Amino acid sequence: MSRKWIIPFFMAACLPFLSGCWSSIELKELAIVSAYALDKKEDGTYVGTFQLINPMNVPGALQGGASGQNPSIATYTATGDNPLEVADRASTIVSRDLYFAHTSLLVISEELAREEGLSSILDAMERGIEFRTTTKIVISRDVKAGEFVQVLTAIDQVPAEKAIKSLEFTEELYGENIATNLQKFINAAVSTGKEPLVSGFSVEGDIEKAKTMEQLQSSDGSATIKVNGMGVFKEGKLVNWIDGEKSEGTLWVLDQIRQAPVNIDWENHEDAISYKVVRQKTNVATKIKDGKPAISVHIRAEGDLRVIEVPVDITNPHVLFRIEGALQQKIQAEAKAAIEVAQKTKTDIFGFGEKLHHSEPKVWQQFEKEWQDVYFPALDVDVTVEAFIRRTGMRNNPYLFDLNKKSE
Amino acid sequence: MSYRKLRKKMHYKEQIPDSASDTQKSIDTSITENLNFIKQKTGNSPDIIIRTLAISHDPKVSAAIIHVDGLVDNPTINEFLVQTMEDSVQEKLQDEDLFTVFTEKVVAVGSLETVSDWDTLFQSLLSGDTVILLDGKNEALIASTRGGERRPVEQSDSEITLRGSKEGFTESINTNTALVRRIIKNPNLWVESMNLGKQTNTDLSIMYINGIVDENIVKEVRQRLGRVDLDAILDSGYIEQVIEDESSGLFPTVTHTERPDAVAGNLLEGRVAIFVNGTPHVLIVPAIMIQFFQTPEDYYVRFPISTLIRMLRVFMFLISLIGPAFYVAVTTFHQEMIPTDLLVIIASQTESVPFPAIVEALIMEVTFEILREAGLRMPNKISATISIVGALVIGQGVIQAGIVSPAMVIVVATTAIASLATPNYDIAISARLLRFAFMLGAAIAGFYGIILGLIMLIVHLVSLRSFGIPYMAPFAPLIPKSLKDSIMRGPIWSFNERPKSLNPQNRVRQGTDQKPLPPIKRGMMRAETKEGDKNES
Repeated sequence: MSRKWIIPFFMAACLPFLSGCWSSIELKELAIVSAYALDKKEDGTYVGTFQLINPMNVPGALQGGASGQNPSIATYTATGDNPLEVADRASTIVSRDLYFAHTSLLVISEELAREEGLSSILDAMERGIEFRTTTKIVISRDVKAGEFVQVLTAIDQVPAEKAIKSLEFTEELYGENIATNLQKFINAAVSTGKEPLVSGFSVEGDIEKAKTMEQLQSSDGSATIKVNGMGVFKEGKLVNWIDGEKSEGTLWVLDQIRQAPVNIDWENHEDAISYKVVRQKTNVATKIKDGKPAISVHIRAEGDLRVIEVPVDITNPHVLFRIEGALQQKIQAEAKAAIEVAQKTKTDIFGFGEKLHHSEPKVWQQFEKEWQDVYFPALDVDVTVEAFIRRTGMRNNPYLFDLNKKSE
Repeated sequence: MSYRKLRKKMHYKEQIPDSASDTQKSIDTSITENLNFIKQKTGNSPDIIIRTLAISHDPKVSAAIIHVDGLVDNPTINEFLVQTMEDSVQEKLQDEDLFTVFTEKVVAVGSLETVSDWDTLFQSLLSGDTVILLDGKNEALIASTRGGERRPVEQSDSEITLRGSKEGFTESINTNTALVRRIIKNPNLWVESMNLGKQTNTDLSIMYINGIVDENIVKEVRQRLGRVDLDAILDSGYIEQVIEDESSGLFPTVTHTERPDAVAGNLLEGRVAIFVNGTPHVLIVPAIMIQFFQTPEDYYVRFPISTLIRMLRVFMFLISLIGPAFYVAVTTFHQEMIPTDLLVIIASQTESVPFPAIVEALIMEVTFEILREAGLRMPNKISATISIVGALVIGQGVIQAGIVSPAMVIVVATTAIASLATPNYDIAISARLLRFAFMLGAAIAGFYGIILGLIMLIVHLVSLRSFGIPYMAPFAPLIPKSLKDSIMRGPIWSFNERPKSLNPQNRVRQGTDQKPLPPIKRGMMRAETKEGDKNES
């Protein structure tokens, strides 16, 4: 190598060691934000609370660390006029660069969601480079969003992870919630024929204690984070909550049920037979009848019998058909109730309008403007259900049935 | 005065060696003169054995047997030369030609030839032949008595296979060519010999199968070897470096092997082998990139397995090339790509590390290279110490001291294993060097830097040629028919044609119906079971 090249070579070789080189940033200069909570002050400014992961305190991460002794998260609070300004102001109190690429949870307080709506917040989130559109949105119900992210959780060391996991598992196993991420929310919010649904979370117990390590030192904890209902949004603002069976009915129509229990009454016994859905398909068909749109929802469910508390002879196919019939009625009732509630609040959370738009694009134009307020509430919805029992569990007849037979 | 000017001044004219003067004198008729000349030329070296004896009393004719101690096969000389010559001492020499008597009646060794110039005489003498000088003749007889102590044919240490021949080449060129001849018993297996190295006069052979190999490749090999004018050739590595296409590049364009079956396989594909005396490493040209990921064993085991193993090797090569670079890029540029849980683990480990990721990576990589180099040439007993120092002191100590993160040690260790898993050392060593370049690229520009490096690497690779053959064949240029023996290894029965990239004269390799078929009727097999057989049901 001639001397002409030696100096440039060494200069180039020094480059990687220089700090501040391009977008390079070392891991220990990052503050990994796991959850971002937004509240609103009386004077209209936003209060942002950042739940930061403290890697040294996450148990199992490193031997000899202070794991298990101290909280695995740290929270910081800052105020500002918009979500980004909040994040910028936070740099005065956080020693590191706030890193949002791993933020998995965005918590909005109920107050903020009702009064201001999410439109202005979400633009900042979606426009930001680091923030992911797969970040889950939840509403903190009856509790400040900032306090919600300060609650420590026992099994999942990072509370945001715990919230997301319980959200996803209830969605899958219980069928009463829906995990909405930023992208889904925005898609539904901008569509004229659909309104978004966002799950709510609440905290039960002593929140102040739950922020300290005391929370993790007892088996039951001082407070628990709990999934609680689904919030209905209209024009970006929270308008209503759906709870319990109505939320299950909503998910039936939305084709979101994966594994949900359905309990039916049998011969004067309340909730005597429990049925677990394992496969489900909901088809929504739209047509124009007499110049008015009509919707038919067809739900098809397959599942197993899980609990039978009454003596029934399930080896008899006719009995099974009767149980299937009862299940169909139950599911139909749930779905219809959910649709009625939605029609009352004039929010098309099921996306019927969107379906109509897809099937009848030309006709849709005349309904589009007043869909939510005029046409959807007056919509004629026909719900049909097919339910099948595929298996009856690990035994045939319930032992009650055999017992009765013996005594006869 | 600057260094450059100094170097120019020191530039001297090439000196012509004085070997040319030997040829001026030719063999004398007087045996005493000749023996004196030999003694003078060899500096009276005691390992040049000269034995004089009379072969006829009337007229008195004396002869001399000259050989080099240790290079010759002693029993041959004793039994077939000295003994027979002494037995046939004649009282009276007939008026016959002495040479005819000797060649026909006295000397009983395999090959015998007559020379008249000193150059050839010394060449043969020093190669282990025996020179017979007769008084009154200005010619000498050369009897082939090459032998002496050589390493026997053993298993090759550097290319070990579980299946296949265990024979490896030795340092003797004759043994080596014979080992290949034993595999390919075909008169078309042609060998050309030459002698290179001004001081060492090293024997060298090129071997190819006439009728398969492309004549142009042989011509190119001859031409490139023809211009070799080295002082010494101590190993085939000397030849490799003066005949390869890209002498300053990082990638080898000539491959070498210690296994006769590998040479045979390559000859049958239309390549040329270069044997050099004194080394078990036989050169094979032309070499293409994908060859360095293949071993002879690939063809001995069933094809799905060797296909997977070949893919694994290419994958290993990529890991050894960009493993640490990938880690550096991900942890300093693309943290969003790491799953959150993993990021937390890595972050907690790097929390106490005082260096940036690239410095960490360089520390570990350089340490590993030092350990490897230290362990490579050590006697076994010392290398155990080195592995303890490496594993405990450096591996564990460095983590406990908080200088390097455990994740980085895992990355470096994986890379090291991957680099050792590459079957060919030449290509592994290229990756070893390039790894550092990729690490710097990753530290400067993240994935962008790695991709930029890979693009440059690919551009370089496709521009390479080995003896006129594109280095990246059969991928660039794409030769679909040859793809089945590249990263994949198709079934043997589908190899109907030789690789097109080598442009073989005879393209057809085998019959087209080599796929085994099941017997037409199962009944044929069942009929063989007789009463009383164990299978009887």
